Amino acid sequence: MDRADVGALVQSAVDGDAAAWKALVEGLSPLVWSVVRAHRLSEADAHEVYQTVWFRFAQHLGRIREPDKAGAWLASTARNECLKVLRTLRRLTPTADPAVLDRVSEDRTPEESLLDSEEAAAHGERVRRLWQEFEKLGDRCRRLLRVLMASPPPSYQEVSAALGIAVGSIGPTRQRCLRRLRARLDTREVL
Amino acid sequence: MSGGCEGHGVPFDDWDDRDGRGGWDDRGDPGDGDDRDGDGTGEETDDASGTGVLEAELRQAAAILDPVPAELRRIAVEAYALHDLDARLAELAFDSLQDASPVRGADDTPRMLTFRAGEVTVDVEVTEQGLIGQVLPPRPARIEVLGGPHAVAALTADDRGRFTGDTPPAGPFALRLRTGGEVIVTEWLRV
Repeated sequence: MDRADVGALVQSAVDGDAAAWKALVEGLSPLVWSVVRAHRLSEADAHEVYQTVWFRFAQHLGRIREPDKAGAWLASTARNECLKVLRTLRRLTPTADPAVLDRVSEDRTPEESLLDSEEAAAHGERVRRLWQEFEKLGDRCRRLLRVLMASPPPSYQEVSAALGIAVGSIGPTRQRCLRRLRARLDTREVL
Repeated sequence: MSGGCEGHGVPFDDWDDRDGRGGWDDRGDPGDGDDRDGDGTGEETDDASGTGVLEAELRQAAAILDPVPAELRRIAVEAYALHDLDARLAELAFDSLQDASPVRGADDTPRMLTFRAGEVTVDVEVTEQGLIGQVLPPRPARIEVLGGPHAVAALTADDRGRFTGDTPPAGPFALRLRTGGEVIVTEWLRV
């Protein structure tokens, strides 16, 4: 989402414009959701973190110092809440390793069944395969790409806030991860 | 296609754009970079292998396979009701989950929270039985426990500022306190 637009929408929302708030939700909720998904929380935790982030954003609306960076604010708030959830899980289940946590979020959304409809089958197969290969990438690539997948595409500043990584490292890593994914897809096609 | 076999162990933050194959994406988290205030408009040209196209395909796949659930979008839109410029915000000043080291062998350690709004602090302890808290300096208050835009419980703080609730908050929660003509709301949290 364009930063100037975000800043203006935040200002309008502060002034009482509910439509501006709705536009912010439409434009930025895919980013918040992507950050939550990138951290692979359970379905219930993902829903609660997402809500907490938006409740807090509403609460801070008139107090955000740089309204045009609201996307980065949301992304870093989401990250912090995700890390708290992961910390709680670690505390409650000392033996939990990342693989166990991964399994929690393996239920795919019901939307996947949409792909079973016949007219979508061909395209669906390709999308499904892309997703499968994406899921098999290493943690770092999977996390970065999941955040980059937000629609509209996030700025690097938002990605940085979402993952706690330096802006400068995002571009090169993105290239590597996408090439790695491309290579996996190509290999499967040859076989 | 992927040529750079020489790049084993390429560091994550390396600007070098070779296709490092040293398992760099399997390492631990990168340290929090200092340069997070970079401009962040990291637009870049995509190379001939079409990584930009692949990213767009991933974005499309995410929109189909892992979209923001409609009900969450609706909740975020409704959260606008939580925007309240008249209330004072009591910011989270201490969270045992984050600021205290875990007690060995004590899995059911209560979550201790302190919120601060100017000279007023609100201490809250969340246990399986409910919540206990105190407003300081001591003062009576009417307290609503919020679980979203609507209050889920009403509590009263006595003359010494103490209050108890017999239902533990589930998911996102905040307290709205009315005391001596002013309204104080604690920062949204997930417990």
